[in-house]
Amino acid sequence: MSSPSMVNAPTVPADMAARNRRDARNDRLFAWLLAACGMIVLVTLVGAAGSTLWGGREAFAKFGWHFLVSTDWDPGTDTYGALVPIFGTVVTALIALLIAVPISFGISLFLTEVAPNWLRSPVGSAIELLAGIPSIIYGMWGLFIFSPFMSVHVKPWLVNYMSTQPDDGKVAWIPAHVPFIGKIFTSQYPFGGGVLTAGIVLAIMVTPFISSVMREVFQTVPTRLKESAYALGSSTWEVVWDIVLPYTRSAVIGGIFLGLGRALGETMAVAFVLGNAFQLSASLLEPGSSIASAIANQFSEAVGLQKSALMALAFLLFVVTFIVLLIARLMLQRLATKEGR
Amino acid sequence: MAGNSSLYLRRRIANIMALLLSSLATLIGLFFLAWILWETLKQGISALSPSLFTKITAYGEDGGLANAMVGSLLINFIGIAIATPIGVLAGMWLAEYANRSKLGSAVRFLNDILLSAPSIVLGLFVYTIVVLPMKNLTDGAITFSGLAGGIALALIALPVVVRTTDEMLRLVPSTLREAALSLGVPQWKLTMQILVRSARSGIITGILLALARISGETAPLLFTAFGNNYMSFNPIDKMASLPQVIYQYANDPGEGLHAIAWAGAFVVTMFVLLLSLGSRLLFARSKVSND
Amino acid sequence: MTDPAFTPAPAAEAAMVHAGDGTPAPAKITVRDLNFFYNGFHALKGISMDIPEKKVTAIIGPSGCGKSTLLRIFNRIYNIYPKLEAKGEIVLDGENILDPKYSLNRLRSKVGMVFQKPVPFPMTIFENVAYGIRHHERLGKAEMENRVEQALRSAALWDEVKDKLKQNALGLSGGQQQRLCIARGIALKPEVLLLDEPTSALDPIATSRIEQLVEELKADFTIVIVTHNMQQAARCSDLTAFMYLGELIEFDRTEKIFTKPNKKQTEDYITGRFG
Repeated sequence: MSSPSMVNAPTVPADMAARNRRDARNDRLFAWLLAACGMIVLVTLVGAAGSTLWGGREAFAKFGWHFLVSTDWDPGTDTYGALVPIFGTVVTALIALLIAVPISFGISLFLTEVAPNWLRSPVGSAIELLAGIPSIIYGMWGLFIFSPFMSVHVKPWLVNYMSTQPDDGKVAWIPAHVPFIGKIFTSQYPFGGGVLTAGIVLAIMVTPFISSVMREVFQTVPTRLKESAYALGSSTWEVVWDIVLPYTRSAVIGGIFLGLGRALGETMAVAFVLGNAFQLSASLLEPGSSIASAIANQFSEAVGLQKSALMALAFLLFVVTFIVLLIARLMLQRLATKEGR
Repeated sequence: MAGNSSLYLRRRIANIMALLLSSLATLIGLFFLAWILWETLKQGISALSPSLFTKITAYGEDGGLANAMVGSLLINFIGIAIATPIGVLAGMWLAEYANRSKLGSAVRFLNDILLSAPSIVLGLFVYTIVVLPMKNLTDGAITFSGLAGGIALALIALPVVVRTTDEMLRLVPSTLREAALSLGVPQWKLTMQILVRSARSGIITGILLALARISGETAPLLFTAFGNNYMSFNPIDKMASLPQVIYQYANDPGEGLHAIAWAGAFVVTMFVLLLSLGSRLLFARSKVSND
Repeated sequence: MTDPAFTPAPAAEAAMVHAGDGTPAPAKITVRDLNFFYNGFHALKGISMDIPEKKVTAIIGPSGCGKSTLLRIFNRIYNIYPKLEAKGEIVLDGENILDPKYSLNRLRSKVGMVFQKPVPFPMTIFENVAYGIRHHERLGKAEMENRVEQALRSAALWDEVKDKLKQNALGLSGGQQQRLCIARGIALKPEVLLLDEPTSALDPIATSRIEQLVEELKADFTIVIVTHNMQQAARCSDLTAFMYLGELIEFDRTEKIFTKPNKKQTEDYITGRFG
């Protein structure tokens, strides 16, 4: 029988006390070890930003803000400017997105609404396979197969019909009447590479990432929402355009930003076909340079200020991709919180 | 209701157009996949020869890729050997200790960003903290090294392992934790002995996928492992790797080197694809047998 | 047969109870004015009860009444979750287990728990039972095998698994897995066994085997069982506690609760007027 006076202070047998202390100590050590490992992720990010900033300090100190807008790149006179590689990075990434977003959207539409059930898994896995192919393979294929293809089949057509300096001298209707188009496609560059080619190769690389995010996100739309629209007589397309897209809008934007982040940071797929020319040109058929490809091509042999300039470029790239990926993640999280996840 | 029927017609056309275009988009995607794989297969297989595996790159067109393959294996191994324990422990931390905390969410968030961060910048990071200090400490005797390359790859593999471990552990039902704690088992034993075993196949899949990912990485190796025309098993020596040699050979004007580059590309692609497919099959099969 | 020590009151004091043979049973666990909060929400309000030794006490009530919450306080499993707070006293063998100084390890070796969904560890059947023991005691091989066999026999599982002790526990059927979890719990030789809706995930045959087992186990253990199935409570238990919205409405001999309950609320629940 228990009564208030019989409630003692807790007593613990000796061996159990020892075991408790040991367990508590082990638990503390374990927790500490795990937290330390978790922090390594933070350290890596901070370290990557910090080390490139540190490496680029000479260049930033010497050129200041001018670095961002200068098109110089001359190891001879030791003057460097970031505009050309920044331009190349941004333009190739934009071309990639312009192509990849509609295609990814089409693929995810196909896989979630159009394809019969038995087709969805194999086709979906096949598209995912594209993401698994190492970027250097894209580079090889781009350089040896796709560029020649572009130079034989695509570029001549573009030059003849879209540029202001066609081979036969007769300027076609579009470049004559639509502003800017002519400049974009005018080129004497004899090879198949260049900004457009690089953009297309990037687009193929980035498509599986965007489409997999879109697919996942389309599948989270509650069936009852779609069913109510179908019940009112909507067609498949209308359900997607009017219901699914608005519902998943932030996540779709997040997926696009994810693709952008990847495209900006991609090295090999672009380095092989961009042409590595330090020139700023409006034409998509001309060669150019991107930050990552410039670093890949020049860093090993660079010394002194050139090395610092390349580091500075790396810092800029890191900061920009970090911001883009941050926005991507935030947008993806928005949909997740809406779901209550 | 003539107006209505033209409205219906327009809507039907729009629907059919959308469905057709989406199928077209998928076909385009599949077409490029097939084209890339086909060319890699074609060019790669035609350049395959036994000398690829026995001769080293020092002999150029008359050589092979033996040192690059060995180098790749070593560097990948170092990368995974570093990334696995750190990544698994970090994933455990996220899932078991920091699951609802603000710090945990922040780390999880940042880990996802690291997952997609440009690998070339990570290579430069390792250059700054490993290659340069080693150069200074040894007065230039040691500069680039296979070890540095391995560390760079480890940083790329790390977020993959962290994320899969975290997700797999969070899938384990909480009742299992409660059941073990109800027996008086301490948290560390619960995590290491029970939870890891429960999520084991998923965690291993994550490690294999991380390996597949780093096997194809080129840019960070260019200024960490740098490359070596001769066979080297020494991690503090410069080391060749398949992707780096492919990059070098492809940019060389010589046609013979291009063929070898394709062979290397073929080997890398096969390795990565088999690893990815194999690990997913392994995972699917283990799930079936567990239920 | 009336029970002289019995005083039905808002805070039931069933300090003594008959199992039908006239002998009184001492209280094993005494709950005194227990209040429980999660996230600020007052989940359990002023619960007081005496759980007798080596009898089966059932806790019943509609969803959300707090019966599982109450059960889970008895082994303080709520400790692993943040923002949960218990105030009051729960006295086990003369010591307040809610005292922060009371070792959780010790509590869990005295109070075992079996959950609603069978959760065998991803190990062999033998290892599942041995795992908990290993953490608390150092036993030789023969001794360990003995303990495991004992536990499996008590859980009425030995005959079915004695030839496959080295097989993975996940290969057992649902009912077998649950009996394995019971074996795992009693292997530590606890004094109290908490069962949280142990048969709700099982088929009727497995359910009746477990109910049989509960009847056998009460010879050695004090059992507290939470169930949403009234008929199960009526079949298996000696005492029943009826809870509603976090309060203990009535606590008395099972027979009385199910035939002539004192409170109207209890009667309404028993007769199915609300659920």
